[in-house]
Amino acid sequence: MTCAEFQQVLPEMLEGDRNTEHAAHLASCSACSDLISDLKAISEAARQLRALDEPSPRVWNSLEIELRREGLIRQPQREPALVPSRARRPWAWMVPVAAVLLVGFGIIVYQRGSDQQAEMAKNQAPVAPAVAVLPASNVSPSHRSDDDRQLLEAVGTRSPETRAQYAVDLNHVNAYIQDAEQSAQSDPNDEDAQQSLLNAYDQRAMLYQMALDRSLP
Amino acid sequence: MTGARKPQGDGLSEAEAIERAKQGDAEAFEVLYNLHKRRVYSLCLRMTANTAEAEDLSQEAFLQLFRKIGTFRGESAFSTWLHRMAVNVVLMRLRKKGLSVVPLEETMETDEESPKKEPGAQDPSLAGAVDRLELQRAVEALPPGYRTIFVLHDIEGFEHNEIADMVGCSIGNSKSQLHKARMKLRDSLRTSRAAKAEKP
Repeated sequence: MTCAEFQQVLPEMLEGDRNTEHAAHLASCSACSDLISDLKAISEAARQLRALDEPSPRVWNSLEIELRREGLIRQPQREPALVPSRARRPWAWMVPVAAVLLVGFGIIVYQRGSDQQAEMAKNQAPVAPAVAVLPASNVSPSHRSDDDRQLLEAVGTRSPETRAQYAVDLNHVNAYIQDAEQSAQSDPNDEDAQQSLLNAYDQRAMLYQMALDRSLP
Repeated sequence: MTGARKPQGDGLSEAEAIERAKQGDAEAFEVLYNLHKRRVYSLCLRMTANTAEAEDLSQEAFLQLFRKIGTFRGESAFSTWLHRMAVNVVLMRLRKKGLSVVPLEETMETDEESPKKEPGAQDPSLAGAVDRLELQRAVEALPPGYRTIFVLHDIEGFEHNEIADMVGCSIGNSKSQLHKARMKLRDSLRTSRAAKAEKP
């Protein structure tokens, strides 16, 4: 048997189909013997690549947000607590308050935009940016920063990895809010920009809700 | 089977996590994700050779799985179900991008696609040892058709009949392409080893 002939039957041979002729060639040919040894080494090393890599935490975050959005993750049915748990979760009040503020803010932005559109149509005069005249306390970065700090402290009691994951998520969502605010300010009549801003706040509220769920006993 | 997995997180086994995930329990979904994330992500990364795409595909595979988790009855291993789903998600994406997932039939191949070198003729032998990271790079450099077969067979452990079914080729074609993929990898690894040996 020549090396070329041996190579032709190699795929079947590696699947276990060996005969005495193959064995005789392997015993006499170091090149083909090396080839077999290399191919086996490649196959064996390949198995180590099976679960080698760790996905970024953002994969689970995006997945969790999507699972909640689709209703696959449902809120647990909690039994009424005998003792108020607010002391353990001092920032928990922020979720409903934030939700109310966000809805109010959205309505104001939308109404201002609609009013200004009507005004423009009537007077053909330039209008002042709607977002600029809104009370800044609702959405100010310093308030966001304080809230985020409290939230990170709360989730940090679970694990440092969770805290790091939430820190990254908050950075992303705050950047998104900042971009959306700038867009809404630069063109108060842009309904898409206003919708983006509401979506951004929605995502932030969802992060807080997820953190609240996780901090429950 | 599903119960064989050791408990994760707060002591939840895979079987318990599956049942709780069916009820919409957030923690159960996370336990299942953590059990399988590395394997699914590595599969996507090997098949696409692109980190962002692998993340996107991993998310899609888990999402599809979790949407259907209510139908999982435990007749087959959960991991088999998931990995088969991940492969299908990746193959579908590759097809959408117009990349070759079905290896060329032997009759359509040119001589250039077959290994030319006599075994052991030039570069040093691998001496039965292959560096994991070097192999990873070499796999990424394989043409998509070869890469698909190699990843599915040698890395993921699917049989040729399963691969033929998933990819849509003959069993013989799968075997032949696997051999060629291994030969290409060997050439690539030996070349890289020879280049390293030449450096002062």
